[in-house]
Amino acid sequence: MAKSLSARNIVKHYGGVVALSDGNLDVHTGEVVALIGANGSGKSTMSKVINGVVVLDAGQLLLDDKPVNFSSPQAAKNMGIATVFQELSLIPQMTVAENIWLTREPMTGFGTVNRSAIKEKTEQLLSLFRGTYKTELRPDDTVGSLPPDEKQLIEILKAISFNPWMVILDEATASLDSRQVERLFELIGDWKGTDKAIVFISHRMEEIFRIADKYSVLRNGKTVGAGDMKDINDKELVKLMIEKESVFSFSRADSKNDKKDKPICLEVKDLQTDSLHGVSFSVHEGELVGIGGLRGQGQRDLLLSLFGDIPYSGVISIFGNAIKLRHPRDAMKRGLALIPGDRAREGLLYIRSILENLILPSWAQYGFPLRIGKAKKDAEQAGASLNLKMAGLAEPVSSLSGGNAQKVVLGKWLMRRPRLLLLDDPTKGVDVGTKAEFYTLLTRLCSEGKTILFYSSTDEELVGMCDRVLVLYDGIIRTELSGASLTKENLIAASLGASNEGAV
Amino acid sequence: MKRHLTWEFLMVRYPAFFPLILLVLALAINLFLQPNMFDRETLNSNMRVFLPLILLAVGQAIVLLGGGIDISVGGVVSIINTILATRVGLDGSPEKMWQFVMISLLVGALAGAINGFFIAYLRLQPIITTYATSFLYAGLALFILPNPGGGIPAEIANLYRTSTPLGLPLAFYVTAILLLVWSYVSSTRYGKYLFAVGGKATAAYETAVPVTRVQFSIYIISGFMAALAGIALTMLSGSGNAEIGGQMTLNSITAVVIGGNAFSGGIGGVAGPVMGAMTLSLIQNIISFAHINTWWETLAKAMIIVLALAVPGIINLIRRRRA
Amino acid sequence: MKRFSIPPPVAALILAIVLFLLSGFLPNSYGSDVKVALSQATNILRLSVFLGVIAAGQTLVIISGFEGIDLSAGSIVTLTAILTYVMVKGENNMVLLAIFVSLVVGAFIGLLNGAGITFLKISPFVMTLGMSGVVTGAIIILNHGNVSGKVAPIMTRLIARPISPRIPIPGAIVIWLIFGVLMWLLLERTTFGKNLFAIGVNRVTAKLSGVNVTGMNLATYSLAGLLAGFGGFLLVGNTGVVLIQLGQPFLFPSIAAVAVGGTLLSGGKGSYWGSMAGAIVLTLITSLLTTMQMPDSVRRMVLGGTLLILISIYGRQQALRQ
Repeated sequence: MAKSLSARNIVKHYGGVVALSDGNLDVHTGEVVALIGANGSGKSTMSKVINGVVVLDAGQLLLDDKPVNFSSPQAAKNMGIATVFQELSLIPQMTVAENIWLTREPMTGFGTVNRSAIKEKTEQLLSLFRGTYKTELRPDDTVGSLPPDEKQLIEILKAISFNPWMVILDEATASLDSRQVERLFELIGDWKGTDKAIVFISHRMEEIFRIADKYSVLRNGKTVGAGDMKDINDKELVKLMIEKESVFSFSRADSKNDKKDKPICLEVKDLQTDSLHGVSFSVHEGELVGIGGLRGQGQRDLLLSLFGDIPYSGVISIFGNAIKLRHPRDAMKRGLALIPGDRAREGLLYIRSILENLILPSWAQYGFPLRIGKAKKDAEQAGASLNLKMAGLAEPVSSLSGGNAQKVVLGKWLMRRPRLLLLDDPTKGVDVGTKAEFYTLLTRLCSEGKTILFYSSTDEELVGMCDRVLVLYDGIIRTELSGASLTKENLIAASLGASNEGAV
Repeated sequence: MKRHLTWEFLMVRYPAFFPLILLVLALAINLFLQPNMFDRETLNSNMRVFLPLILLAVGQAIVLLGGGIDISVGGVVSIINTILATRVGLDGSPEKMWQFVMISLLVGALAGAINGFFIAYLRLQPIITTYATSFLYAGLALFILPNPGGGIPAEIANLYRTSTPLGLPLAFYVTAILLLVWSYVSSTRYGKYLFAVGGKATAAYETAVPVTRVQFSIYIISGFMAALAGIALTMLSGSGNAEIGGQMTLNSITAVVIGGNAFSGGIGGVAGPVMGAMTLSLIQNIISFAHINTWWETLAKAMIIVLALAVPGIINLIRRRRA
Repeated sequence: MKRFSIPPPVAALILAIVLFLLSGFLPNSYGSDVKVALSQATNILRLSVFLGVIAAGQTLVIISGFEGIDLSAGSIVTLTAILTYVMVKGENNMVLLAIFVSLVVGAFIGLLNGAGITFLKISPFVMTLGMSGVVTGAIIILNHGNVSGKVAPIMTRLIARPISPRIPIPGAIVIWLIFGVLMWLLLERTTFGKNLFAIGVNRVTAKLSGVNVTGMNLATYSLAGLLAGFGGFLLVGNTGVVLIQLGQPFLFPSIAAVAVGGTLLSGGKGSYWGSMAGAIVLTLITSLLTTMQMPDSVRRMVLGGTLLILISIYGRQQALRQ
């Protein structure tokens, strides 16, 4: 049966911040609608409007052209609308099966949850992604102990478990690896065929063009364009998203000089952690070295152990001195900085002021009593140099949009003038405009002689930006790509482990 | 990822494992000091003393599981005690007693509902809210009965103190029923909701769990259990005293944590806290039987409790060092 | 959207002043006599000092987040009060040593709290509750029924008496003001303070920004113990006698004072000015009820009710649905 849902002129404020000023969306069964927009343009708010998580300030929702009002997530669910959340809606202490069926548990005649039925049904669902799991995933595993990509898969399975007619995928592919994305797209294809509607929210252009039938673009809380995907190209889409036409390029070929004559900045020998099994490499001063590979192959452990955040064995030498890093402070003293990808959880203090966030790693330099005036001046400067848009240094970081918040994370480290930057997927979930600024900044930092170790889940970034790329596979450096061999095809092949052996 | 029978696995999957070890240990020491412990008389006189704390610990366990805390339970115990002692009286009829037992249960649930209203619907912090209501309730108890006195008929008190159907203490049956009810409740949908809300309330809300109602309900349960504890305690003492519940709140929380429930919610059960409450009471016994100098009693008891709390942490620490 | 533009510390202070002015109409109160009113106000402030100082350590641990709380503060107060009492024995020249011992003992107990919480992962509520039992046990042994000792004249002179015959302000209030400024410096103008707020909001971010979270946790609980120890010293200087339950009645009010002062109980946000204002409000309400000759039962109920109203006004957490 054909169904449709429309959102008309939706308005939503959070405190004084306008998240949506005129949001519109039309979704029909049998189609995939891509909801596109820069960070802070209101995409997530739009999805929360459709699934009843937020209260509307104005506007109307129409289900099959009749006005509806979702008073709670339950109400939306009862109407057959499922959401795969970006912030996961899983309970870490509960098992996979309990999480998937929460509120819809199959019951026995005695009013208790039917454990064998729940297990069986969970196994059926899990089989949809069979072969893409890194662990031996079972229905009674505790969700908290799973890697992020598997949590995301459970989240997807949870959403489709009640056979909704509409599925909202809010950045659902951001933490998945390419095999998992591939499988998801196959499933989306099946769902389209069985009269489901899919709302697909993603920053990855390539995915949008592969999977979506229609698009709807949000800019500053307003719907600025909608139509068929076949009538538009990526340049035009980006233009819609960012007002000014500042289409970025990844290339920085001009500054990709050979730096082999420069001194060695970082040398790693036989580094081992839980997920790294003996990694050795060295980086010259001023080099921009990429770390590639499928998600969860040890990239995160590599960066965290270099920053002293997790225990490791092996030798790390910085500018020729072998040191034992026991705490991030040890790394910071030697001029290292780590820019985490998960800024909410690892990079920022949301309820504290922008000033305090920017100066957090540097307070010790301001003496006693702290010279607040000087701190403010320095912070102003750092903000200005990054083109940070804010109402004032005293405002909490929570008042900033995603891209600007990420600039605060960058700024707090650049203020320390680090010599070696470790970047952990810094453009994840960042809008196109900020990304472009970010690439320019990286290029500038390299030309200033800073050394950068750059992990990214986006292959284009690595190919375009890096002098060379170390491809991690199952905790070891499988391949090193540089110069002419640094192409997207080679990178993907290396990521998959070349012959694909060992893959489950 | 291989599945071993690891310490962490045991602690998370079977939170009552460690409290069971503690309980067995406490029982063994107690038996050594008091060889007639399992005689019908001794067992009964122990169990009837343990029961009020067990009841309170069950209520507190459910609140902690659901991600809250209830500091007002002692106040509720006091209210119930003073109501029974003043309204029934030493020469009251059994009918009157049972009538007021019913009223007490309602009062307990109402006190819990007040807590639940402020916490679930007005979204106040549980710890400070129930702290504020603990003053309200303790004050009310003192208002009902300013000076210790009054009481309940001796025949009713004796019914509680001496009944041993089939040779087992009455308190034993009550505890068994509680555990049975919990094993049922924990496998119902409500049971899953409880763990979900205590584990991550925002995620539970997005999954359409009725978070507010679950939060509200846990305080009603806690109030109800506190009323039961108050009734048991009154039958045990036979008399009224507005300060009777004061000390019990913190003991109930200690019992639940010794019982393996996570303080932050979402992990644990009820069997562990019941064992925790028994262990706590046994420690008291052990100390009085060990003929420790009176001056040292408080310190000895506190040290044992801290040790019991510290042992899981110490084990984890040693395991991590070795790894 | 800011529903309450008045910051909580100011709101609490205004509330205290309004309550005080209203209390003039009560029977047994100061009526229209300004002189009596002033001395009554001074007296209430003097009484607030002890709660205020004990609430200082509480403020720090609550700001440090992760369910931070110190339930051992009351027993530390009793312990150091007794230690001071026994050591000083009426001798002025023993006072400095007594302060030193009070601070060190308090800090040591706090350090044990911090160690249990940090290394053994025991929740602060339970850890400090257990520690409170241990310290109470130690007090009973130390006390052995009764203690002999005496407060030194200089302590009474500095704490309980007016600073000079012409200025009828007790020394305790001056000490508290200086103490308040020091606490502000600690929270707002030191790296420690900034890091404290940071660990209260997000410990992962704090660690990845170079904050030594373990060290901060240990230091915060030690400092809280130290401040409670100082509170015990001050308190005995005012009362002149010790009893085994001297500090316990201050425990929960110290948490309430922090909450009333607008410090987030979940950590990461707050001020000591707020706790000071909170201490004044709570002391004022208690003493008003005493002036009105209310029975203990009514006093407790009014205190509970007031606290409930105050936290209903600005203690609300974020709603699930926005």
